[in-house]
Amino acid sequence: MTSSTSSTNSTVTTLRTPTLETLGLGTVLDIFRNGRLPVDPAAAVDAVFGPAGDRGSMVISGASGIVGAGKTMQFASRLLPYDVPVVALDMAGAPDGIGAKYDGLVAGFGKATADRVMASIVKLTYDGRSLPGELDGMKPRFLLEAIPEILDVKKAHYALFRERFGDLEIRSVTSGFPARELGVGVAHPAFPHEINKLFETVEDAPSDVTRMLWALGLIPVPVSDDWSFILDVLFCGVTLAGLRYHASTNMPYWKVDKFVRKHVGPNPFRAHDAIGAKGADFLTWSCLHHLSEEYGALFTPTADLVERKETGQNWYPMNHFRPLVDWSLDADAEAEFRDWILGPLFQMTSLMLKENRGHLTHMNAIGELCAQFRKGILAVMREEGADGVRSTVERYHALVPEAAGNAWHPETLDAIDSPEWQQLYVNAEHDGEVGVISLARESYNWDVDAELNRAIDWLKAAGIERVIVTGDFHLSTQMVGADTGEFFAAMEDPAAGLAITTSWTRTARRLHDDFRTSVAFVGGKRCLGGMLELLMHCHHMVAVDDARFGWPEVTLPVVPGMEACHWPLRRTDAAGRGKVLEMLLTGRPVKAADALGWLVDRAGSMDDALKAAWDLASTGDAGDGRRPVADGALAGIADEVPNLPDADSPQMEAGREAIMGCVKASTEVGVAEALEVQARIAAEFLAGPVCRKGVVGGEYAKTMRV
Amino acid sequence: MTDVALFPRARIPYGTWGSSYFPAWQTSALAEVNPGQFAGESMARILGMRGVSQQEMDYLVLGSTVPWHWKFWTAPMVASIMGHRIPGFHVEQACATGLQAVLMGAATVEAQSHDTVGVLTFDRTSDSPVGVFPERRAYERTQAIADVWDNFGFDPATGKAMIAAAGQTARKWKVNRNETDEIAFLRHAQYFEAKERGFMDRYMVPIDLLSVQGRPLGSVTEDVGVRQVSMGMLRGQRELDTCVTSGTQTHASDGMACLLVTTEERAKELSPRPEISIRLVGKAEARAEPSLMPEAPGIAANALMQRLGMSYDDVAVFKNHNPFAVNDAVFQRQTGVSWEKLNRTGCSLVWGHPQGPTLTRSLIEGLEEAVELGGGHVLLFGCAAGDVGIAALFEVTG
Repeated sequence: MTSSTSSTNSTVTTLRTPTLETLGLGTVLDIFRNGRLPVDPAAAVDAVFGPAGDRGSMVISGASGIVGAGKTMQFASRLLPYDVPVVALDMAGAPDGIGAKYDGLVAGFGKATADRVMASIVKLTYDGRSLPGELDGMKPRFLLEAIPEILDVKKAHYALFRERFGDLEIRSVTSGFPARELGVGVAHPAFPHEINKLFETVEDAPSDVTRMLWALGLIPVPVSDDWSFILDVLFCGVTLAGLRYHASTNMPYWKVDKFVRKHVGPNPFRAHDAIGAKGADFLTWSCLHHLSEEYGALFTPTADLVERKETGQNWYPMNHFRPLVDWSLDADAEAEFRDWILGPLFQMTSLMLKENRGHLTHMNAIGELCAQFRKGILAVMREEGADGVRSTVERYHALVPEAAGNAWHPETLDAIDSPEWQQLYVNAEHDGEVGVISLARESYNWDVDAELNRAIDWLKAAGIERVIVTGDFHLSTQMVGADTGEFFAAMEDPAAGLAITTSWTRTARRLHDDFRTSVAFVGGKRCLGGMLELLMHCHHMVAVDDARFGWPEVTLPVVPGMEACHWPLRRTDAAGRGKVLEMLLTGRPVKAADALGWLVDRAGSMDDALKAAWDLASTGDAGDGRRPVADGALAGIADEVPNLPDADSPQMEAGREAIMGCVKASTEVGVAEALEVQARIAAEFLAGPVCRKGVVGGEYAKTMRV
Repeated sequence: MTDVALFPRARIPYGTWGSSYFPAWQTSALAEVNPGQFAGESMARILGMRGVSQQEMDYLVLGSTVPWHWKFWTAPMVASIMGHRIPGFHVEQACATGLQAVLMGAATVEAQSHDTVGVLTFDRTSDSPVGVFPERRAYERTQAIADVWDNFGFDPATGKAMIAAAGQTARKWKVNRNETDEIAFLRHAQYFEAKERGFMDRYMVPIDLLSVQGRPLGSVTEDVGVRQVSMGMLRGQRELDTCVTSGTQTHASDGMACLLVTTEERAKELSPRPEISIRLVGKAEARAEPSLMPEAPGIAANALMQRLGMSYDDVAVFKNHNPFAVNDAVFQRQTGVSWEKLNRTGCSLVWGHPQGPTLTRSLIEGLEEAVELGGGHVLLFGCAAGDVGIAALFEVTG
């Protein structure tokens, strides 16, 4: 149990600081209590671009580059409903990066919408020294600068705009320069730029621009005004760690990538090549160069990076020289590899903690959302423990003595038991009567499980009997299910699988058993797999109309292990059971509005859904209107579901058979016994040959069998 | 301690070397790969295993004899494959290549143009390329030559095959079949004794190969094709020429071997045993009369020892490239050194003949043996195409 130190915001007590507060948007509980979101998108757009009829435009400079083109797509599509034109400005002769995005736009939105998005983009060129006259008519209100990473060039660029459009908002996408050096705010995005929603923002206080980003469904994350940003420290840091390991051992970059993926998650060298080696190498060098000037040898770029930022040569060999000689590591060498990689990452994180670069949940999530970390860096450090982290960094210093000289702040680990460290993914709030549990991670893993249990304990200790379980309205914009990376151990060891299915199910049942009233709230686009299994344990399920619910496990295939095979069947009638089984055996999702009465209890607009959830939780509905859980054996479960479409693969066919077997076995017993039955079947399937041949097995082989 | 040294500035850092195993022709995954790529990636791996960053190298000397895909680009390309863009060049002299490459590396250090030179030798005899040569003056007009086998079978200077040279030399020196069978038997026994006591583990490196899809293609973990032999087996084999049978001659194989040549100071820094010093004392080359190739190494060795003013009693380790057992018998007759003293830890008669790396592996074996003995001189010698012999003396101290 974590410390119950709490902060109080008006009448809301929180387990740890809600991330929304970093944006000046209050608490999650406030959202439900007020029955509406804290920022209305249309009003936010008006605040930045002016009211309809006097609408200004958004200008993205450097719009043909990798960042600029991606952000042009993202903003043009999100601003389309508000008739805000996007001016894509770049040098004459810059290669067209925008046209190349059209196919992706069509794939994402359909041709008609894609055409409208493209039509809302006004392409202008300039010579870098003067702005085109046409810009005046576009009334620029917000400039997102994405030009090359050269400070003097950037400053001259801002001066050009300030001279012509004095009051416009400017944000730089820079990956390295502090706002104090630039003289403008920062909105630093992450690759892939057309779809990644996260922006690290630097500004004195949350602005209209930042609030608009949030209202448009993006993820602004305030960070401190220091050299390079959290993402860049982490990503450039892991790249540098790989480069140093290569320099010491000769292990080729592609193989370093594989071990980094196994131990951390990303493929830093593949990522540089995928982004475009020349540009990416320069940015990584630039970031490390500035960091090394500020903080010393911990960040000094290696000679090969210095060379490649000039040459732009790919890190991976060309196709005709695909790797030939494999590299393996014995256990000791792999342990040392881990020190080479995690040692500097831990040290760099200690520096960021020392500088208070951001909310710990943000710092942790940035690695996951933007740098492919399988677990956020703080979650990894927490698992290692303060002493373990210190030891790892000390071992790294033995390998790279020059890194020991500065930028190591082990004292920052002293707070590792605080709620800010211990509740990275799950927060809890209450007003003395109603509690809110908010999930800041889109997929369920052991960390979420542990934090959720601590959050429940904290609310229970405060005497809270009514609770809403929801996403956090910030980092978690959807709920995609269990983190399949957690299944890797289960593929080798059935006991590890059984630990997952049993423990996670017991946690889920706490939402049903430990509260007088529990309300699940789904306000994002989808709620799938293990997350749906978790939330279905609440007494009520409330969702926005177009949220999609599904159990895609059969397509992987895995057998749902958090009671999807019997719990929802116990809460509906024969007709509903048929629909639940169809979901389980096809993997096809249903919309909330179409699942009313058998899976979802209330569905409506965002405001209506928020109000409904609050009504149910705050009135403590006394059980009225709940779909009860049949606790005995269920009669009449058919052996098979008629008229199913053909399975897509033999694995899916086998998955169906296993799921149906689990359904039968877990409904033939009472609800108490069913927990163990379904947990055992799901765990056995995870360790079996069908799963090994499927999607999870493929990921496991690719990630862990290096 | 010898007072003279051929390249006084150059040292071979002990323990930074390595060799792949040499699978026999067409018996391993090595038959399917680009040998230059294989060699480059393997050298990076070997140096890594020895705790030496490839970035220590500032120059690369390649040695190989069989043409390979993109050979035109030679050492710079192989260096790029290793991920370390340094200059370098390629050297080739049939079976003397491995030693010549080491000499070129030492000469580069001596010239002070570079300080740490990688010497990387390799060959793939399997599936050797076929060259098509337009020869408008020749009766055949156009000739197609399989690089390995057609060259073995025809010395254009004499019109004879390698094997014929062995037979002719045996007849000249009155070597008999019993003796060559006994030599072959001893050589196999020496090889397996060294292998079984773990001697080879000091420098032989198992290599795992990947397909283009990144899946396991095969592992090179032994000298495939090398088997224990009995005298009965050897004596029962058909004689192909005088004293030449399948058992008393080497076989074609594939593989690589590498080492570093650097300055005395850097050698101390790079070696896991800095107290050991290895330097080149001298070398000699000679050419025998037509089609008497097996006697050429003895001529070169005698010349070398005479020039250095040294006796064979001063030599602790004798290692040679002996494609035929005849070579060892003739060397004894030319020098008075019993063939029993040669190749106590293996030789190319047994582990095969990939040409480029043959003498490099022999050198590494000889240096390891000298270190095991507590130091001494290593005489390395061998024959090469064109009735050529080469010999070099190394000094191991510390």
